[in-house]
Amino acid sequence: VSLRGRTALTTLVALAAAAVLAGCGLGAGHGAAGVTVTVTKDFGAGPVGTATESKVPGSETVMRTLERTFHVTTRYGGGFVQSIDGLTGSAEHDWFYYVNGVQAAKGAATTPVHSGDSIWWDFHDWRATETIPAVVGAFPEPFVHGIGGKRYPTTLECASGVQTACTTVANAFAGAGVAAATQFFGTGSGTDSLNVLVAPWGTLRSALVADLLEHGPSISGIYAKFGGPGGRELELLNPSGHAVKALGAGAGLLAATADNSGTPTWLVTGTDAAGVAAAARALRPGILRHRFAVAVQGGMVYPLPLEPAQ
Amino acid sequence: VSYRRRASPLHAARAASACAFCLALALAALVLSSPLVLGALLVAVLAAGTGARVGRELRRALLYAVPLALLIAAINALVTRDGLTVIWRFGNLPLLGETDVTLEATVYGAVLGLKAVILILTGALYTLAVDPDRVLALFRRVSFRSALTATLATRMVPVLLHDSRRFGEAMRCRPGRPPTRVQILRATTTSVFDRALDVAAALEVRGYGAARRPARTVRPWSRHDLAFALSGAVIGAGAVCLRASGLAPFSAYPSLHGPVTPAAALSAAALLAAAILPFLDRRGIGA
Repeated sequence: VSLRGRTALTTLVALAAAAVLAGCGLGAGHGAAGVTVTVTKDFGAGPVGTATESKVPGSETVMRTLERTFHVTTRYGGGFVQSIDGLTGSAEHDWFYYVNGVQAAKGAATTPVHSGDSIWWDFHDWRATETIPAVVGAFPEPFVHGIGGKRYPTTLECASGVQTACTTVANAFAGAGVAAATQFFGTGSGTDSLNVLVAPWGTLRSALVADLLEHGPSISGIYAKFGGPGGRELELLNPSGHAVKALGAGAGLLAATADNSGTPTWLVTGTDAAGVAAAARALRPGILRHRFAVAVQGGMVYPLPLEPAQ
Repeated sequence: VSYRRRASPLHAARAASACAFCLALALAALVLSSPLVLGALLVAVLAAGTGARVGRELRRALLYAVPLALLIAAINALVTRDGLTVIWRFGNLPLLGETDVTLEATVYGAVLGLKAVILILTGALYTLAVDPDRVLALFRRVSFRSALTATLATRMVPVLLHDSRRFGEAMRCRPGRPPTRVQILRATTTSVFDRALDVAAALEVRGYGAARRPARTVRPWSRHDLAFALSGAVIGAGAVCLRASGLAPFSAYPSLHGPVTPAAALSAAALLAAAILPFLDRRGIGA
């Protein structure tokens, strides 16, 4: 073999090795199982369709999973969804998706699908915010299958005086097969766990995550705000971000949010202990299904954001 | 690749008919996406080139068009995220991010490449077989000076090519290393303004600036004029009708859909026949 031939051979071998190390490969690779795709509009209020894929091919992305069942048009070379089943994005409404209740940081065409993922596409008004970091509508996700294929430990931080609500939340997690470690409120759990805070707003407002909620939906993605003296009033916001209803004593809020870097934090809170207990009782898949967040009071459940008619 | 009078029906046809024929082929390539129909169009353009006695030049143009088509196919396969059937995983690439090559994006890229090849070959056929002076003469009654300016501008290209050949030969006669292409190009382009000034001065002396709008000349339609005009009309209208009726369906995303229906096969054959038939009548053309 000549020197030139050897050089060419070495280059080919090096390229092949680099390709293998970079994750290259022929075909789609290993697939995933048990993936659910749900499509709704108006913050989950209007169902468009649902599909469950018992087995999906390898290299499956959120976009491909959607395209297998729904009629999808895309833009930017297939990177973003333009329309699903004829519902087309505009300056005020567009398509957003959540995997296991968490808004993905990447486009649907580059977000991989993992076994057990629950993918939710929603067509909604984004005038108040285009970023809703986390939603509660996929419960018991993300606690069961995690985020991006990675499972996280669940920590339950309960304030004093809401022991009943704390037990209700712990039982809800146990019922979903999630082992949640209970710890004192304010201990903190870092960014490598899914944190659930159970506390009345008066106590919760000292936590860092409460700061997001106080800044409104543009920062927290939660269409509700506590107001009044000592946070004794819960204002429910409409899709434009305006307050349309105020709940007083006994009002609870069940929501999820996250800052730019961390895993989502779930909030089980209320204007008082009774409100926290009401929010804890709402931690059931049947109630939370297709909800971004919920407010509760006296047996009434208000999906958030609140449409004027509700 | 430049126009030279040859003994062929396309060369014999009037410029308007020849233009319509080439434009119809290009339009068909643009509006249709069925690989079967595009394949028929490619064959039609190559056959038209052979019929026009510019087959060798078209094959040379094909050498430039095919790498471009492959490039288009490769780029589409790499950057398009659409398609359900992953055939190759590239992993996380710099700039492109997570990159999966899908069968659908690859096939659609090939279709785009095929369209590019047809367009390039049609352009080459037009350049080789349609007299540019006659094309510009079509517009002289609309705007005489613009037509004259365009004629001169297009005439400058063969003049500069001739110049470059002369410069090359002269430089090769000198002792030392033969000239590089860049040296010849530099020598040619530095003289371009002088050549333009010569032409402008000659025109001034001949009184072109004072010319008036020419009178309308009526030239009877020959059988070749009619044949190519009819062929162009059939190809153009047929392509638009095929597109509108969906008789030759093709969609790449999210999964490939392009059934070879009898209607699609018949349409492809009809387009091919419409493009070739005018070349069969060689009466009055000569050897």
